[in-house]
Amino acid sequence: MRIRVGRASDLLVLLVVWGGLLLLFGQLSTGFLSAASFGSVANRIPALLLTATGMTLLMVTGGIDLSVGSLLGLCGAVVGVAMADWGWGLPAAMALSLGVGVALGGVSGLISVKLRLPSFIVTLGMLEVARGLAFLATESQTKYIGPAIEGIGTPIAGWIVSPAFLLALAAVALGQAALSYTVFGRHLIAVGANSEAAAISGIAVDRPRLWAHAVLGALTGLAAVVNCSRLGSADPNAGVGFELSVIAAVVVGGTSLLGGRGSVARSLLGVLIIATLEAGLVQMGASEPVKRVVTGLVIVTAVLADNWRRGR
Amino acid sequence: MRKILLSLAVLVAATACRPAPAPQAAAGARPRVALVMKSLANDFFATMAQGATHHQAEHAADYELLVSGIKNETDLNEQVNLVEQAVAQGAAAIVIAPADSKALVPALKRAQDRGVVIVNIDNRLDAEVVRQAGLTAAFVGPDNREGARRVGLALAAKLTAGDEVAIIEGVTTAYNGQQRRAGFEDAMQAAGLKIVAVQSGAWEMDKANGVAANLLSAHPGLKALLCANDNMAIGAAAAVAAAGRSRAVLVAGFDDIAAIRPLLADGRVLATADQHADLLAVSGIELALQALKDGKPGADRATTVDLVTR
Repeated sequence: MRIRVGRASDLLVLLVVWGGLLLLFGQLSTGFLSAASFGSVANRIPALLLTATGMTLLMVTGGIDLSVGSLLGLCGAVVGVAMADWGWGLPAAMALSLGVGVALGGVSGLISVKLRLPSFIVTLGMLEVARGLAFLATESQTKYIGPAIEGIGTPIAGWIVSPAFLLALAAVALGQAALSYTVFGRHLIAVGANSEAAAISGIAVDRPRLWAHAVLGALTGLAAVVNCSRLGSADPNAGVGFELSVIAAVVVGGTSLLGGRGSVARSLLGVLIIATLEAGLVQMGASEPVKRVVTGLVIVTAVLADNWRRGR
Repeated sequence: MRKILLSLAVLVAATACRPAPAPQAAAGARPRVALVMKSLANDFFATMAQGATHHQAEHAADYELLVSGIKNETDLNEQVNLVEQAVAQGAAAIVIAPADSKALVPALKRAQDRGVVIVNIDNRLDAEVVRQAGLTAAFVGPDNREGARRVGLALAAKLTAGDEVAIIEGVTTAYNGQQRRAGFEDAMQAAGLKIVAVQSGAWEMDKANGVAANLLSAHPGLKALLCANDNMAIGAAAAVAAAGRSRAVLVAGFDDIAAIRPLLADGRVLATADQHADLLAVSGIELALQALKDGKPGADRATTVDLVTR
């Protein structure tokens, strides 16, 4: 069995693409290569980055979770109710959000792993369940939380980045380290590359998959807190379509939808490429339809390029 | 792996450097006004954007216009991104139709703290949250409740007291949606009609179509569907036709978008309200320019809402 972990050259290609986009938009639009503009990109991505980290670990095992957008909405709703209605402090609300994330991610994982159902279908069901619960929890109203939560998403005084961004980078570093250096990480890859071979070689194949679902749930819970912090409020509609942005970023980063291959660090670049593209197109004054067409084309091109390089 | 960690470190270093001072328009240069809207896929906001673009073309010497909108009406994060990006681009004023009445307040407050003038159009920000956050934003917009009440009364005139009606409301978290629902309710109450259901179509045609289909089968005696915008009215009218109950079930909308006209003409939709989207954005921009000139926020302005029937 051949295991392929992110090679440095793959990372380099993505870095070049990202750098190219920065230069391109720098040429096309004045003021794009400014600290303020960097800050605006850096502070919009933490929720996406946290979730993409968890999604990469899960997709490496060959699984997927389509419910992360709804779960982001539900965990946020729980934070909103806890802080705005029950008067909870941030640490307790954050713990609750993580708990809800782990619980729902874990339930999806248990059902899909133990009952051998495709995670695609199980989490599609969870997508509806979590969104419904988010509306029930908030009575379909936005909960305003205010300054108690805004600190996480607001740039640190004297810096241009927020604590949320640093937290997300730490999650990326930890996720990549776990994938590359730990037995857990090796098992994730082995299970995704060839589940039967992994079982024969003595790996309890269910465990890494289950853990990957739970870890993604926890990171989504964390992302929900970050998201609420940006809005100063909890919105039960938060995260509609978010799962697609997460999966797109992970795939642009070269993680295989079939499992067995992936890298968290490259997902970070996937996130940066898509966020830079969106920010750059807005700055140039591109219309919404044009933005969507260009972003879609870039996603497909990235996957094509990845396939082509691997096929050589 | 070392290279990966190294690139991460470089990235942190690159982004964590000290910030540049907030970009300000140079003295004497035209101020930049950012118009931040909701979904540009919705005719209403497309009309708003056109009105603003025409106004800018006529007053090109006075200001520079940045127009942006979001993918779908509930994508609050994207709208916060647009607000932050407008600040990063050195906008002197932001004229915004907020997708949510509460959740946009903190981002707008941050922009205001950096010296940007905020004008709120279309959907009014929640007064209590605005007060708590310490934001100052003049509001330019129509009286949605009164507009919806008049649409409701026009529809009630075709029905008899005791008839069953249902409301398809917008995104439940938006103030203008809540006001329109309240206006419909006022009219139904005044006419003695019975509201058997209130459900959200999230401002969207497709969603409203499904909701309307369900309402029609659940309530065989239903006489009217009051929709909080025209997109949803179009979806509802299609559901009425599909159920074979055209004429038996009346449909009303709000916004008077171009796409509703043929439906108004042949009676599939009975009434809607025109809140003059093109003028709405222009009033907001004029208020922002005045505020920049005066150095103080202007007063709220009410814009007209007209009842539109065939």
